[in-house]
Amino acid sequence: MKRSTQKAREGKPSLASLAESLPKIALRLLILAIVDAFAVFLIYLFVYDGLWPLAVLVTLTTLIINVINLWERFYPLRWMTPALAIIMLFVLYPIVFTVYTAFTNYSDGHLLSKVQSIRRIEQDTYLPAGGVVYNWTAYRSPEGEYALWLVDMDGNTFVASPGQPLQPAIPGEGGVGEADANGIPTSIEGYTRLTLPDIIPILDSELAPLEFGEPPLTVSIKTIREAAQLQPRYVYDESTDAITDQITGAVYTADEKQGFFISPDGQELNPGYQVTIGGANFGRLINSPALRGPFIQIFIWTIVFAFFSVVTTFGLGLFLALIYNDPTFRFRKLIRTLLIIPYAVPGVIGILIWRGMLNQHFGVIASNMVNILGWSPGWFTDPIWSKVGILLVNLWLGFPYMMLVCSGALQSIPKDIYEAAEVDGSNSWNSFWKITLPLLLVAVGPLLIASFTFNFNNFAVIYAYNEGRPPIPNTATPAGYTDILISYTFRLAFESGRGADYGYANAITIVIFAIVAAITLFQYRFMGTWEEISENV
Amino acid sequence: MKKNALWYLSLLVVSSLLLAACAAPATAEPTEAPVEATEAPTEAPAELTELVVWADELRAPIITDLGNQFASEFGVTLTVQEMGFGDIRDQLAVAGPAGEGPDILIGAHDWLGQLVANGLVAPLDLGAKQGEFLEAAVNAFTYDGQLYGVPYATENVAFFCNPDLAPTAPSTWDEVLTLAEELEASSGGTTTAWTIQTNDPYHFNPVMNSFGGYVFGFTDQGYDASDVGLDSEGALAAASFLQGMAEAGHLQADVDYDVMHALFTGGQVACIGTGPWALTLIRDSGVPYTINSFPDGGAGAGKPFLGVQGFMVSAFSENQLLAQTVLTEVFSTAEFMQAMYDADPRPSAFLAVRDATTDADLASFAAAGADGQPMPAIPEMSSVWEAWTNAITLTITMQQDGASAFATAAEQVRTLISQ
Repeated sequence: MKRSTQKAREGKPSLASLAESLPKIALRLLILAIVDAFAVFLIYLFVYDGLWPLAVLVTLTTLIINVINLWERFYPLRWMTPALAIIMLFVLYPIVFTVYTAFTNYSDGHLLSKVQSIRRIEQDTYLPAGGVVYNWTAYRSPEGEYALWLVDMDGNTFVASPGQPLQPAIPGEGGVGEADANGIPTSIEGYTRLTLPDIIPILDSELAPLEFGEPPLTVSIKTIREAAQLQPRYVYDESTDAITDQITGAVYTADEKQGFFISPDGQELNPGYQVTIGGANFGRLINSPALRGPFIQIFIWTIVFAFFSVVTTFGLGLFLALIYNDPTFRFRKLIRTLLIIPYAVPGVIGILIWRGMLNQHFGVIASNMVNILGWSPGWFTDPIWSKVGILLVNLWLGFPYMMLVCSGALQSIPKDIYEAAEVDGSNSWNSFWKITLPLLLVAVGPLLIASFTFNFNNFAVIYAYNEGRPPIPNTATPAGYTDILISYTFRLAFESGRGADYGYANAITIVIFAIVAAITLFQYRFMGTWEEISENV
Repeated sequence: MKKNALWYLSLLVVSSLLLAACAAPATAEPTEAPVEATEAPTEAPAELTELVVWADELRAPIITDLGNQFASEFGVTLTVQEMGFGDIRDQLAVAGPAGEGPDILIGAHDWLGQLVANGLVAPLDLGAKQGEFLEAAVNAFTYDGQLYGVPYATENVAFFCNPDLAPTAPSTWDEVLTLAEELEASSGGTTTAWTIQTNDPYHFNPVMNSFGGYVFGFTDQGYDASDVGLDSEGALAAASFLQGMAEAGHLQADVDYDVMHALFTGGQVACIGTGPWALTLIRDSGVPYTINSFPDGGAGAGKPFLGVQGFMVSAFSENQLLAQTVLTEVFSTAEFMQAMYDADPRPSAFLAVRDATTDADLASFAAAGADGQPMPAIPEMSSVWEAWTNAITLTITMQQDGASAFATAAEQVRTLISQ
């Protein structure tokens, strides 16, 4: 008795709260249903196109979302579902996809999935020897069945319907209506003639798939004017996983290692399809002649480029920040704003302007140098000066960022330290080296590392400025003096073989990531010493 | 007060941006409206079937206006998505397989190798209309024996000369050399006979093949990727010629597209090789010019690459027959092709328009490219450009002798193709 009342008392409020939250639950389930419906639609699309990794990922994400939302135990996770879904799709998926692609042959010629590839190959048709071409007119019965009025090149006329032999017919006889001015019957018994506006919406969806007449020589629509005894050129047999060419009789067997249908004599059918090829991309990179030759030279320049890009931009940025940090400086706000311009101008435009200014023939800088010094370096042709040029351009692009960062960091250094230093007899030179720089580096150190990493892979600047040129003579594959690792390997992946090779590119990306990660780790270790300084101050 | 002013200013900027954004589609409307009005009286507006077309900014308006005007007679409406000409190919590779691509796209014939290898475009049947097109243009859009495009324009470079500096256009490269010596002597070194981009093989090709050099061997089957001709005897001869010109100081380094045209329009160089895309620039500059065939280097006048532009149908279109119908019935008409020509004058691939072209300059272009071979469309071409470019640059900047630069380039191409 006591128990039951207790239960009832407990039950009552929970029932009330249930009633209260019912709309909420309904809303939640509705949203979940919409999400699920959308997911099912996506999964269907992906499976239809044979994009299995995507289908699996969306299925998994959807399952997780459902479990979290339906199972009380995971209640706290509910608030994280949107973030989790976004992480899955926009962070995790690209990483997984990059790694996965590195183990596939995804490239020009292998863009499609096998299903898509077969579907494309099966589209090809041919007109067999002695095949007849007709002009056609379409008719439709009230039941939605179609018939064609065919006129061959000799003027013979036929009525054709799917599955029935072609019937020789003459307008005005045997149920065929009277001919119009063009000799086309106005109607066929049980069918009405379709006009062009009737045909257009159904041309591809309904008329094109139909085969009129009796097999094997069926007639299908070829163009808006012509129909012909077209036959599919390639027939895919699922049991043997092979495609037979109906003209030559050649059999193309699926080669799951190469992602092609290949005939015994080595002929490949276009398009190929995507397959996983294990570590072949990495093997190719290691065995590539490109890794001998200029590789070391390019690797060293990459580090030099990244290092000097950081040092010069930081140096100039810090210098300017120190100057304009002085409150007694006039117009400092205006000047500081103007100095940010390179940061605000889109990089590509800035680079193009620099290219113009440094040009040997019409460039402002080059021609002024000739006027004043009587000499101007080959900014785009000399191996050394082209490197100086790109560092200059990158300095111009990069210093405002460093100036902003340093200005902020300088504000955060307590003034009393300087006062204490002054009392101890330190001059401003000493204060800078002993106080400002160490404390500043604590704040901006990680940014410098990030900047180094960014410049290590700064493809955009190199490509927009001079595409890594001038060229290095006598290399195994094309390479330039200002090529950095990423621009050099970009060319290997996208401007070699038979076009773009994304699988190979991703393998290269992973290797470069490993290199950059190693360097960055080393730098963070190095940074540890700076942090000790900050503790001692 | 100050803060308020700033706030109002930013509000003004934002609202004006919004206004600008709203204004853009509004200007497009009036052009569409009258078209529908003229079509409407015949019958009640039937449901139009939509086809998506990808085109560049020069052709998009023509397809939107004139194309739609004609297409609506077929119950078709063309939705044109404008994008950069060069972006179309890359975008198609992504959007096509995902089912978001166009039905019809504009493109260049030399994309075909890649597009066909990727299964992105569908074969076409021009039927009886095929005879109305320039045969070379149709051939350029034929790949592995299948037609994939309806051509609308051809283009090739030709040899522009300034008659003030070169009263008769040089017909051999020896004459170019002599002219260079004369002009430099008379001008004190400020004017010379000929210049070429330091890093552009496309404009160099007619020079190379006038000496008998070639990129890929050409057979009945098309280009043969196993026969790389960058170190053929003719190519090496062209390299030596280039080297000789550079060493004698007749060729400048660090010349890009803009510099080359600035030198020509400024009267500092007598002859350059360039294409119809530069006509407007050169005409506007007022510099006198003649358009000629490329000089002879011993193997006949230089033959430029022939480029052909046309319409293709996406293999992922669900309305391929309809798209093909639009290409043959709507686009393959003299009126439409004339409009395409007017928007961007290049020799038309449609014979009726090509023959009716009265522009003497374009006729000269057509003559200069009469024997031109189509630019190789095979995918192996992507292995060629950079190596070839580097050989030309190294020769002009005299960092390597021409012969060994070109021999290296040929080796690089072979290495890259076998990769």
